[in-house]
Amino acid sequence: MLAESLKLALRTIRRNPMRSFLTVLGIVIGVAAVIALVTIGNGTTARVTADIAKLGSNMLFVRPGQFGPGRASTTAKSFNDRDVAAIRDQVNGLRAVAPMAQSSATVIFGGESRSTGVVGTTSGYLSALDWSLSSGRAFLETEERGGRAACIIGETVRTKLFGATDPLGRALRVGNVSCEVIGTLAKKGQSGMGTDQDDTVLMPLRTVQRRITGSSDIGTILVSAQDGVATSKVQGDIERLMRERRGIVASKTDDFSVNDMTQMLETMAGTTQLLTGLLGAVAAVSLLVGGIGIMNIMLVSVTERTREIGIRLAIGALESQVLAQFLVESVVLSLFGGAVGILLGLALAYGATTALSVPFVVSPSIVVIAFAFSALIGVIFGYVPARRAAHLDPIEALRHE
Amino acid sequence: MTTPEIAFKHVSKRYGSGETEVRALADVDLSIDRGAFVAIMGPSGSGKSTAMNIVGCLDRPSDGEYFFEGIATSTLSRTQLTLLRRHKLGFVFQGFNLLPRTSAVENVELPLVYRGLEAGDRRQRALAALARVGLEGRAGHTPSELSGGQQQRVAIARAIVTDPAVLLADEPTGNLDTRTSLEIMQLMTTLNRVQGITVIMVTHEPDIAAFADRIIRFVDGRIESDRLKSDGALETMA
Repeated sequence: MLAESLKLALRTIRRNPMRSFLTVLGIVIGVAAVIALVTIGNGTTARVTADIAKLGSNMLFVRPGQFGPGRASTTAKSFNDRDVAAIRDQVNGLRAVAPMAQSSATVIFGGESRSTGVVGTTSGYLSALDWSLSSGRAFLETEERGGRAACIIGETVRTKLFGATDPLGRALRVGNVSCEVIGTLAKKGQSGMGTDQDDTVLMPLRTVQRRITGSSDIGTILVSAQDGVATSKVQGDIERLMRERRGIVASKTDDFSVNDMTQMLETMAGTTQLLTGLLGAVAAVSLLVGGIGIMNIMLVSVTERTREIGIRLAIGALESQVLAQFLVESVVLSLFGGAVGILLGLALAYGATTALSVPFVVSPSIVVIAFAFSALIGVIFGYVPARRAAHLDPIEALRHE
Repeated sequence: MTTPEIAFKHVSKRYGSGETEVRALADVDLSIDRGAFVAIMGPSGSGKSTAMNIVGCLDRPSDGEYFFEGIATSTLSRTQLTLLRRHKLGFVFQGFNLLPRTSAVENVELPLVYRGLEAGDRRQRALAALARVGLEGRAGHTPSELSGGQQQRVAIARAIVTDPAVLLADEPTGNLDTRTSLEIMQLMTTLNRVQGITVIMVTHEPDIAAFADRIIRFVDGRIESDRLKSDGALETMA
């Protein structure tokens, strides 16, 4: 009996391919949206997780102000050289400490120019991040102390500005400072957050402070713990030290934050989840609209086929059999919509993940859920029309023109 | 005395209520034996179609009782009435009422689908039924590819494919020309004489009614006359 209903449903759908397709378009769009969003989200998460695993979990970022969901960033005072020195000298178990003064500037070489990120830091930055140079050398201590106009350039800056020219020893104009290129960074590629890590210029901290930002502020202090030292302990030590140095009394909360990568990931995941939730709600509305579309067409179909229903009831079809026939039809329709939606969603996600160069991670559970949900929509929105068909009076139905 | 196949005891049927109440049947007593060939006649609004609907278990009496093979149908649920239709009754309609865009053999198979027969078995019986109405070789044609007479043959094949006890025909020749009407009536006569199927037919054409053994005439919801064919009056009309 079920096989018969299925055959009948497929035949009815095939007879009106255009109408059937338009009927399920809402479901197709809804399912495709859910599948694409979740797949892209999964890919991004996988990428970020991989990046963080690569960096290692022993990194800490000390920043002024508080960050994260529900906490507004406050205007807290920046760090200075003495804070960096204090951390380096008073906290145990550190591998590297690097101050960061970030800015952006136009860099010019020859006829080429480019707006890029400038980081004023020390050689500790390279060891903290575990970055290596593809050519040249890191900053010398004398260069750092004297604030010499020297720079290390990222791969993107090198290719865009220098092309085939060997940049070592050349003079690169950063803002209005002319500095000597002393090294090039090995290619890092895109970060999990989607920024180009190679589009950067490193300069001694003092050079940036004096000649680019014009202040002695330090935006972020990068700390890397030694292997085998718990980051939580280092984190606690730094927090205590900074509270003391910044004169925060016990009753006040920190006006700075010390985060490790896991915490940064959590912050990011929170934002991603919120976004996914909102988009999911939009997709759910689309599925609801799709379901109403199916109900509408099924009601039209029941009216059109009143005579047919009358014949079936007269020659011995039970109400439950007529109900089943129309329910199967709406479920087949919505499953068809779901299947098309899944394929479309995966195709969209594949395109998007390739474009963003994040991994294409298909979650089988979301595919199954989307498919099952389409079936559910078919049942829910097909029930009213099917019941109407089953409850038709055969005499009236046979008289229907 | 054997139980009649079909018996009406004081059957009334009212539609609507109060001022707008219409009495389609008024206290009708009727009994039809197994193997009979009965024609029901009467002007429109006389209650003949209502009587047919009640005989076909598509409708229930407002008062009185309809017995099918001795069973009081008022005691049956809607589902049981459907099962009774499915197993005991065959329907032929004026407008043929075949499923459009569906081949002849699939139309004939339809009642067997609801009986839950296997596809192979169904096809075999449907083809046999088509052969009985003289439509071998037309199994794959859809209704729009068949003439009116052929369509009505398909409808008859669909009605008899389940080997029903009673064949109910509502104006079976209403949409057909004279020659085709006669062919259809010959077919119905054969089904009645050879297969022993009880045939009950509504018609308003006397020459079609003349094929029956018994003619019941309804007027204003009552039986006005109930005559066997051997009556002289009908003999002269035939």
